[in-house]
Amino acid sequence: MIEAREIAVRYGQTTVLHNLSLCLKPGERIGLVGASGSGKSTLLRLASGLQTVDQGTWHNSFERIAIAFQQPTLLPWRNALDNLVIPLLARGLEPAQAQQQARQWLARVGLSDSATRWPAQLSGGMAQRLGLARALSVEPDLLLLDEPFSALDPTLRQTLAELCQQWLAARGAALICVSHHPQELAPLVQRRLVLIDGQGHWQDAHGQPLEALPP
Amino acid sequence: MSHTSRRWALLGTVLLLAGWWLLAWRFGALLAATPMVAVERLWQLMQDSQWRAQLGISLLRILIGIGGATLLGFGLGLLAGLDGRVRGLLEPLRWVLMATPPVVVVVLAMMWFGMGSAMVIFMTTVVLAPGVYVNTVRGMALLDPQLLAMARVYRFGFVLRLRHLYIPALAGPLCAALLIAGASGIRIVVMAEVLGAQEGIGFALANAQSAFDSGTLYAWVLLVLLLVALLEFALLQPLQRRLSAWNRVPHD
Repeated sequence: MIEAREIAVRYGQTTVLHNLSLCLKPGERIGLVGASGSGKSTLLRLASGLQTVDQGTWHNSFERIAIAFQQPTLLPWRNALDNLVIPLLARGLEPAQAQQQARQWLARVGLSDSATRWPAQLSGGMAQRLGLARALSVEPDLLLLDEPFSALDPTLRQTLAELCQQWLAARGAALICVSHHPQELAPLVQRRLVLIDGQGHWQDAHGQPLEALPP
Repeated sequence: MSHTSRRWALLGTVLLLAGWWLLAWRFGALLAATPMVAVERLWQLMQDSQWRAQLGISLLRILIGIGGATLLGFGLGLLAGLDGRVRGLLEPLRWVLMATPPVVVVVLAMMWFGMGSAMVIFMTTVVLAPGVYVNTVRGMALLDPQLLAMARVYRFGFVLRLRHLYIPALAGPLCAALLIAGASGIRIVVMAEVLGAQEGIGFALANAQSAFDSGTLYAWVLLVLLLVALLEFALLQPLQRRLSAWNRVPHD
């Protein structure tokens, strides 16, 4: 789980997160909402272990973490299949098993025909699907999604949101999802953290303010 | 940048050969053999078993020297790229090695190792490694931080990072460094052999020069050029094309 108490993160003179407390238990799913520069990405970086706090305490006991970046961040010199295989190898799978799982995930996100294509040959939406498949394929305990469906058309957005929902229900993983689309967050998360001026305000999945967090 | 025109490259080669022929005509057969004489003499040399022995020794030295320089330069460059402290530690050594004229290294190496292979290989490695090192460090500095973050989140071990992140990302600058190191390596080995070896292409060159046998001298020079061409066009350029295939695909 993640336990954060009165954390602050600063970049030089700019305070991005201020006096923020947060608790994310296994299986809990929260959405992050806020204007640009409100600290959403910083919170995701903290959760992924890429950033440390400047103040307060931050404890993250999730062992396996995966992130689907807004920009898919694929290895440009490896084809679509290998971009899925390599994280699976890092997870300790045998090469044959990793290949098999990677092919299954390519099929699930509709990219079977693009297995041997370089990332530069994929459209923005295809690359984003690949990034999402990579995140889900490693079966994380904590899934971090940064605007995961932003480059997709409405039909594909719906399909992949459902895939995520099914996966989360089956796996029981915790989720932190950043999105600018409230309707996109609603089926995925149990509550939302709205970041305003670096401070957090809790809402339920549909945007109603929460006075107190459920235990 | 536009592609190098093959037609113009061919014209450049013809002009170069014409220049060579003009020089030979101007200086006479004793000082400069014509291209035809050099080719004929090279053909005669190739029938001689001694020729193969001299070439073999030089090739071995070239291989070990360039290989050693590449491994050393790349390995240290990788470490320096990952850690600023290592970079700081190696910076004075890099500067000293790059600022020291190769001929000084030859003289020192002759004093330390005497005449022969150890001296030539040491000299080649020491002269070439800094170039590979600098290119590796530069390549590491240009690595996309987002890719490094991705590798960290997905917990790529060192071997996976090396194979799928660092080496492909460094392939461009490294191939450029290898192209320079390869050509320079051959020239440096030959120079070191001229100055301090009793076998090899450089030794044969020095013998031909002292005997005023310009045909043999130019035949060996031609052979060195062929070796550089073989290394560049048959090995390093295809390797570079293969490693950068992902960067030349048509984008959707």
